Amino acid sequence: MNKNKAARILSYTLIVPVAVLIFCLMILLVGCDLGDALKGFWNGAFGSTYSIAEVLVKASPLILCGISVSVGAHAGFTNIGAEGQFYMGAAVTAAISMYAPLPARLLLPVSMIAGFLAGGIWAMIPGILKARFNISEVINTIMFNYIATGIVGILLQTVLKDPKAYYPQSSKIPKEMYLSKILNGTRLHSGLIVALVCAAFVYVFIRCTYSGYKIRAVGQNPRASLCAGIRVRRSIIFSSLLSGGFAGLAGVCEIAGLQHKLMDGISPGYGYLAIVAALLGVNNPIGIVIASVGIAILQEGANGMQRAGSVPTSISNVMLGMLVLLILGRAVFEKRLAKKGAHRV
Amino acid sequence: MNEILNLIGSFLTSAVRQAAPLTIAGIGVAYAEKAGILNIGEEGIMLAGAFTGFITAFFSGSLFLGVLGGMAGGLIISMLHAFMCVHCKTNQTISGLALNYLTLGLTSFLFLLAFGKGSSLPSIAKLKSLPVPLLSKIPVIGEALFNQNILVYLVYLVVIVSCIILYKTEWGISITAVGENPGAADTAGINVYGVRYLMCAVNGLLGGIGGCFITLGQLGYFQEDIIAGKGYIALVAVILGRRNPVGILLTAMIIGFTESLQFTLQAKGIPLPSQAFSMLPYLVAVIVLLLSFGKGYDPSALGIPYDRNKR
Repeated sequence: MNKNKAARILSYTLIVPVAVLIFCLMILLVGCDLGDALKGFWNGAFGSTYSIAEVLVKASPLILCGISVSVGAHAGFTNIGAEGQFYMGAAVTAAISMYAPLPARLLLPVSMIAGFLAGGIWAMIPGILKARFNISEVINTIMFNYIATGIVGILLQTVLKDPKAYYPQSSKIPKEMYLSKILNGTRLHSGLIVALVCAAFVYVFIRCTYSGYKIRAVGQNPRASLCAGIRVRRSIIFSSLLSGGFAGLAGVCEIAGLQHKLMDGISPGYGYLAIVAALLGVNNPIGIVIASVGIAILQEGANGMQRAGSVPTSISNVMLGMLVLLILGRAVFEKRLAKKGAHRV
Repeated sequence: MNEILNLIGSFLTSAVRQAAPLTIAGIGVAYAEKAGILNIGEEGIMLAGAFTGFITAFFSGSLFLGVLGGMAGGLIISMLHAFMCVHCKTNQTISGLALNYLTLGLTSFLFLLAFGKGSSLPSIAKLKSLPVPLLSKIPVIGEALFNQNILVYLVYLVVIVSCIILYKTEWGISITAVGENPGAADTAGINVYGVRYLMCAVNGLLGGIGGCFITLGQLGYFQEDIIAGKGYIALVAVILGRRNPVGILLTAMIIGFTESLQFTLQAKGIPLPSQAFSMLPYLVAVIVLLLSFGKGYDPSALGIPYDRNKR
C-alpha cells in the first residue's frame, strides 16, 4: 500500500478515538457515571424495537435531505437551503390535502410530485441566479430558508390554518393520504423506503448516466466542461432542481408519514443536519444513508442519556460540530503524515 | 402632538437598540470578508459572545468584565474558524456551519453545567443608559441616539474608526488587496495569512461584543439559542451594506425599524402575522443581490483559501 493511502486511512481512524474521548470527557464533566450514561445511550438508540424504529424515523428525512445536498454538491452548487425546500414541500402537501379537488387515492402521488417540484423550484431560483448571474448560492439559499419558514408561518395563520385549532397549524390530512406503517406499534413509516429508493436512484444517476456525468464534470471543472461542449449553466440549474426536489420530497414524507399536519418548526433543522450527513457520507448515497443513521443514533442516544443520567442532549450538537471540524482538519494531519513517511523512505 | 413625538421617540430608541448589535457584528464580518474569509459562523461567534459575556458578568458581578468575556468568547470561535480556513484551507461554508453547531451545543451544555435545570432563569442587571449631556436633549432623536448604554456609543465609535481604517489607511488597502488578489498581495510583501488571521480576530472581537450586547444590554439573561438567527441577519446587513461600515449601520437601522415596528404593531393588537415583517430583510437581501449582479461588489477571493505553493 502506498504511503499516501496509509496516511489517509490512519488520519480517518484517528478521528474515532478522539471523538469518543471528547464524548466521554463531556459525560464525566456533568458528573454522571460513565457506565450509566452509556447504558442510557444504548437504550435510547437500540434498547427496544420502538427506539430502533425512532432512529429510522429520524434518519429518513435526513437521508433525503442529505442526498439533496450531495446532488447539488456534485455540480458545485452548495445547497444550504434544504431546510427551506423541505418546508416548501411540506406546505404544498398541506395545501393539496385541504384544497385539491382530487379523488382521495390520488392525493398522495400528486402531492409527492408537487412537493418534489415545489422544493425543486425553491432551489432552482438560487440555482439560476448562480448559473446566470454568478450570485453566490451560499448566501441566497440561507435567505431562502428564512423566506420559506416565513411563508409557511404566514400561510399557517391564514389560508392553511385549521379553524378548530388554537395554535397555528393546518388541519389533519385525510387518512387516504397517509404513508403506510412499516412496523406496527412504532412510528416507522414507508418514508424510509422512499428515501432508500431515492438514494439508490441518485447512486445510479450520478455514476451511470450521461446527465450525472455532466453534473460531476461541471462540479469538478466548469471551464473544462464548457470547452468540452457541456452546457454548464443548464447542468447547474438542473442539479439545483433535482437537489431541491429531494428535500421537498422529505417534507412531503414527513407530513404524510409522521406528523399528518403542517405546523411551525416541523423540521428540527433537518436541512442543516443534512449538510453534516452529506459531508460525513462524502457525497456518496451509501455513505449518506450510513451517516444519516449514525446522526440519528447519536441524537436518540443523547435523548436516552438525558433520561438515564441527565446528560444534556446538546451533547449531540457538540459532537456533530466537533466531528465535522475534525474531518475538515484531518487533511492537514494527513499531509503531515504523508510527508513524514516520505522522509523516512 | 407631544404624545406622538413621545411614541416616535420610544420607537426610535428601540430601533437603535435592535440595530446596534447587528451593526457591530456586521462590521466584524465585513473585515473578515474584505480579507477573503467567508464567515457563515457569525451566528456561532455571537452566541459564544452572548454566553461568555453573560457567564463572566454573572460570576464576577462586573458588566465591564462581562463585555471583555464576550469578546474573548467570540475570539475563540473565530480563531477556530481562522485556523480551519487559513491553515487547513477547508471549505469555509462548512467550517462556519460546523462552528454554529459546536457553539449551539457547547453553550447550552455549559450553561446547564453551570446553573443546572432550575425553574427560574439566572439573570443580571442590564447595562444602564448613559445620557450624553446636551445631545440627549435634542427633541425626538436625542433620546434615541444619545440616551443609550455604553455599547451603543462603542458601536458609533467602531463605525467611524472602521471607515477610517478601511478607506483612509494603508491597512485598509492591504486588507482589500488580500481579499481581491492574495497572490499579488503576497508578492507585494503583505503577509496574507497574517492579515487573514488578524481580520478573523477582529471579526471575533466585534461579533463577541454584538453577542454580549444581547445578553448584557437587551435581555439580562441567557438561554439556549438566544441569538436565534441574528448572526444571519448580520450577514444580511453586510450584503445590503456592501461591506461599508456606514452602509451596514444604515441597513441595520432599517432592520431595527422593521423589528420595532413589528413589536409596536403586535402590542397594539393589529393582527398581522409576525413573519410578514421578520422575513422582510431576507427578501430585500435577495432582491438587492439580484440587482447588484455583475457589479462585482464581492471581493474576488471571497471564500477561496490561499495556498502559497500553488500558482
